Amino acid sequence: MDERVKQGMGGLAATLDFDAELMLRVKEGDGASFAILLEKHRLPVIHFLYRMVQNQAVAEELAQEVFLRVYRSRASYEPTAKFTTWLFRIATHLALNSLRDGKYQRLEEHLDDDSAEAPARQVSDQHESVEQWMVHQARMEEIRRAVATLPEKQRAAVLMHKYEEMEYSQIAKVLNCSESAIKSLLFRAYETLRARLAHMA
Amino acid sequence: MNCPMKVGGNREVLLDYAAGKLNAGARTELDLHMRNCLPCSEFAAGQQSVWRALDEFEPAPVSMDFDRRLYARIEQSVPWWTRWLRPLNPLLRHSVPIAAAAGVIVMAGLLLDRPVAAPVAPAPQSAQVESLQPEQLQSALDDIEMLRQFNQLVPDSAGAKM
Repeated sequence: MDERVKQGMGGLAATLDFDAELMLRVKEGDGASFAILLEKHRLPVIHFLYRMVQNQAVAEELAQEVFLRVYRSRASYEPTAKFTTWLFRIATHLALNSLRDGKYQRLEEHLDDDSAEAPARQVSDQHESVEQWMVHQARMEEIRRAVATLPEKQRAAVLMHKYEEMEYSQIAKVLNCSESAIKSLLFRAYETLRARLAHMA
Repeated sequence: MNCPMKVGGNREVLLDYAAGKLNAGARTELDLHMRNCLPCSEFAAGQQSVWRALDEFEPAPVSMDFDRRLYARIEQSVPWWTRWLRPLNPLLRHSVPIAAAAGVIVMAGLLLDRPVAAPVAPAPQSAQVESLQPEQLQSALDDIEMLRQFNQLVPDSAGAKM
């Protein structure tokens, strides 16, 4: 690794994750490292945002903003936490803001009308009958609605816990809560989901 | 083991059990406990069904031009002087150190050669011109270099399937 990057990392070098090292290289002006970070985290960030706001166009727009903020913050970046913690803090902040101000509501209605975000709902498996596909879509819709009814913070915690496989401590840092608060939050969220999805077992 | 569902217990162990995050020892211990604890076994079964249901929540495919749009936005966010200086990049890259060294020599020469400190009239406000600081110039050159790297990457990533 570049000597200047090593110096910038100081005593943290031993505990730093590879992503933070890449981000420090971006700070040093290495565009290729930014491309690697984008390649690695593009899908997790977009998928997280999609499950949060449940609109693909909005999720991509928010993801663009996330990576733009990462790029713009490169000069002031300090590896005080895991890179993914920082990344998902930005993503969660943007998702919660967009849900609260309802900025994308009209776009969502528009997309619902013309079914522009339905590629995943096409019959993708040739071995799957239309009936099976319809059952699958009905289940998906039910799960989607169950997740959507969770309070925003609970939703974010469940998505990070389930799909990003984050530790409680990391989710706590992202949501700026204590670890015990996150455990209670997750427990309540899963209780709600169990009640709503129990019949699907 | 203490029952995780009792007050003061660690209920998250049941979440970890359903998520498959427990190590073999802890899992066996909980399995043994659940043989005699209906609330825990019911909870674990319910949690596992939720876990399986959430597996079905598939995300939609990502647009093929996501990276291209992002790099275009990055390009737009670059300060005007960076874009303005881009054609001069190769020239500036080599001439900045030389110009800086020459500037230091000239300044040193002026200071050493100065006979008497004459009062200098303040420059009129209207004559002030906005100038680029060396740090700004260096930052602009770094931006240009990164954008050049991005431009090389975009055709590759645009063709990649998401």
